[in-house]
Amino acid sequence: MSIRHGLLALLSGGPRYGYQLRVEFEASTGATWPLNIGQVYTTLSRLERDGLVAPGGADEQGRAVYAITEAGRAELDRWFATPVAQGDRPRDELSIKIAMAVAGAGAGVDVADVIHTQRMATMRALRDLTQAKRSAKGGLAERLVLDSLIFKAEAEQRWLDHCEAVANEKLPREKKA
Amino acid sequence: MTTVVELREVTREHGQVHALRGVSLEVAAGELVAVMGPSGSGKSTLLNLAGGLDRPTSGTVVVEGRDLATVKDLAELRRVSVGYVFQDLNLIPSLTAAENVMLPRELDGVRTRRAREEALAALADVGAAEIADRFPEELSGGQRQRVAIARALTGERRLLLADEPTGALDTATGDDILQLLRARCDEDGVAVLLVTHEPRYAAWADRMVYLRDGLVVESGAVRLESAR
Repeated sequence: MSIRHGLLALLSGGPRYGYQLRVEFEASTGATWPLNIGQVYTTLSRLERDGLVAPGGADEQGRAVYAITEAGRAELDRWFATPVAQGDRPRDELSIKIAMAVAGAGAGVDVADVIHTQRMATMRALRDLTQAKRSAKGGLAERLVLDSLIFKAEAEQRWLDHCEAVANEKLPREKKA
Repeated sequence: MTTVVELREVTREHGQVHALRGVSLEVAAGELVAVMGPSGSGKSTLLNLAGGLDRPTSGTVVVEGRDLATVKDLAELRRVSVGYVFQDLNLIPSLTAAENVMLPRELDGVRTRRAREEALAALADVGAAEIADRFPEELSGGQRQRVAIARALTGERRLLLADEPTGALDTATGDDILQLLRARCDEDGVAVLLVTHEPRYAAWADRMVYLRDGLVVESGAVRLESAR
């Protein structure tokens, strides 16, 4: 998780103070990743320790301002240039739950019911995200973050449809709804 | 809200095949309802019955207060009350965008000048005013769908039946089309019945109906509960 790099990216646009970083971070990510101010200051002090940011004095209202260093810019460039690895998706709870249901663990579990319950939940999540996107007043960055979550929810929904179709075809009659 | 289309216990059999096995559904003015389900589940049959393209084996279909069983001239009802948008094959290639939109109104006996005024207004409503005089082959997929939606909504029609209208579009353009359908519902009280197999587009709807083997297995279950 890279709050570090998010803050570095914001600081690459010029020196900022802690609260400002928090507000801009949330605005850019469409409030999908809320930060508390403590996380911001903890992260800033680690970045300072690693030489990636430096204290930049105080602004006219006396707030402590941070600036990105040359090493910080190099780290930011490296981050943008590095693709994000696929996480351990097959280990997520949903996959395990469906796998267990299909494998017949827990006698009397209705696979179709498990899939159905999840489909409704995922569909609700997808609608909430779409609603958030419709009412989003923020910029392009916010919209694209919401789009990312929409695509993920959509992928999950498609996978559930696929599970249902395959289970329907492969499972013995008595396992069906 | 007034009901624009209502299906009551509708069945449709094609020989031995039961395409629909007792479906009830209402769509009110201003409502966008998505119909989902695997292929062969009866989605298109449902749409055809709702729009009077086909008659049910049993059950009742009511469009704008008219029981279709009592309507002799379904073609007239379709022209006056129902608009269609499909995945493709929507526009006549030899006519401009404006002429395509005018056509159903002219067939209804509306004079050319007035039909053109209505067409230009309808194109403006869907954000396509500037392409009124272009031919379909000069338009992008998204622009063609905008024109098709304008044509479907000229005149007094406020029931729009859309069968995979985003099927040939990329996702950003598909989102634009859903935003447009949504706006017609919210601003003009149009009722939209949208068949789609893509959850991302169904997520724009007020309600979702899920069909399987000719039956509604889920309906309204995902009605939006968050602030609206």
